[in-house]
Amino acid sequence: MKKIFPFLLVIATLTGCLDLDDNLYNPSKIDAYRLDEYKGDVDFHLDLSYHIPDSLVHIFTLASQANDESAATTIYAIYVGSISRIATDTVILYCHGNKDHMDAYWPRAQLLANTKSKNRFGVMMIDFRGYGMSDGEPSEKGLYADADAAMKWLKSQGLTDNRLVIYGYSMGTAPATKLAAETYSMKPSKLILEAPFASAETMVQDGSGLALPGDFFTTLSINNGEEIKSVQQPFFWIHGEADDFLNIETHGQVVFSNYTGSYSEAHRIPGADHTSIQTTMGFQSYMDVVGDFITLH
Amino acid sequence: MRFVKPLEKNQQAANLSFGGELFKYGSSTIPMPFLTASYGYGFDSTLTGFASLNISSGLYKNLQLGFGATKQLFTQKKYSPGLSVSPAFEFIYQNQNAVKFYPQLAINAFWEYGKHKNLVFLGVDNWFELASKKAYEIKQENHWIFMPAIGHGFCGKKGMFTIEARVIAPNLSNEKLVVEYKTPFGTHGAFGVYIGYTRKF
Repeated sequence: MKKIFPFLLVIATLTGCLDLDDNLYNPSKIDAYRLDEYKGDVDFHLDLSYHIPDSLVHIFTLASQANDESAATTIYAIYVGSISRIATDTVILYCHGNKDHMDAYWPRAQLLANTKSKNRFGVMMIDFRGYGMSDGEPSEKGLYADADAAMKWLKSQGLTDNRLVIYGYSMGTAPATKLAAETYSMKPSKLILEAPFASAETMVQDGSGLALPGDFFTTLSINNGEEIKSVQQPFFWIHGEADDFLNIETHGQVVFSNYTGSYSEAHRIPGADHTSIQTTMGFQSYMDVVGDFITLH
Repeated sequence: MRFVKPLEKNQQAANLSFGGELFKYGSSTIPMPFLTASYGYGFDSTLTGFASLNISSGLYKNLQLGFGATKQLFTQKKYSPGLSVSPAFEFIYQNQNAVKFYPQLAINAFWEYGKHKNLVFLGVDNWFELASKKAYEIKQENHWIFMPAIGHGFCGKKGMFTIEARVIAPNLSNEKLVVEYKTPFGTHGAFGVYIGYTRKF
């Protein structure tokens, strides 16, 4: 027993040091964005018909700073389209998922840039802090600040709320929903969520089979299932029925069911998992449903 | 890890056990790192009371305590095993909004053998979820989590080293979860491995 007590003391000293928050993020650092030339893992490849001319691909940095931060963090962004037309174009702000960086999501951004017709919509994508070439470390607060930094830049280029569509995929559904629901630099006119998660608590309960409070494991306050109740803009939800990461019933369906705004549409894709909605549907079908939602509602 | 066989009268024991469900972590498969410290006291040779502190849970700022008793119902007679039952409960506290209480019941058959009285045991542990709702007021469907287990205790003069394997909730699907459980039983349940050391004094 005498030998056990010092050990317990060490453990007690450490008490309070852990949570599962960092498991939300799975970033990779790179030294340059390669886009079409990227050789790492991507969810799908596109043929040359989806190619975006270099003149319409702009990579630049933004200064991201939350209200309670003393200094800004430099993050990277890509704008696909003519910057001079932002004052008149409709723009999709794309918030990517929890792994890698913008290179890995480039085919997804390209699809959106080909929706309806080539460069019919401007597409903006950012690497959240800690991802790709962006400085800093990932954090929940950072997700919101970084997406808001993108909105500030778009606003400075002449974009108005009625022409801004915000699109979130997986982890990116958190900033997308938050920025659609609450007051930030701009108020997106439409919200698109692909494979959203309801909350960290739902992840804990799914994983344990028990009604455990999320607070036992995480300090994350992300709660798309509640946040969506404050979204009044038209809402588009798409989710793979075979999603083996974020269960369509316990996550996506909850978010969709809790929406009380003016218009919503649900696309449950049979056979698609967390990363294969576009390939399961077919690129054109995917672009058609997204494009129709943006232009018709 | 339970006291499968009660202690002798007035005997005390301290136990540390480590292990949990196997899951995929990166490219590896590891057990969930649950570390629990327990204390037991033999009220008589058939009844042991015990208390436990889940140290891993403490690292997450939770106070997780367990209390219970092991009662031996039958003694071993040659190949006929001894049988014990262990009613217990776990109490987990994080804050006013995050408190849980889990009644538990373990039933174990055990055989002692050899000069050192090594122990083989076979049993089932049961956790009971009392909540009727989970997040977003969704009905909590699972109220009974059962865990068949098999284990072996290697006894020394003053202590016992134990290994145990458990099949956790084999009736529940393990598909479409954030956690990727690794189990030889495919798409249902989880498979846990545990090691423990009990010092008697």
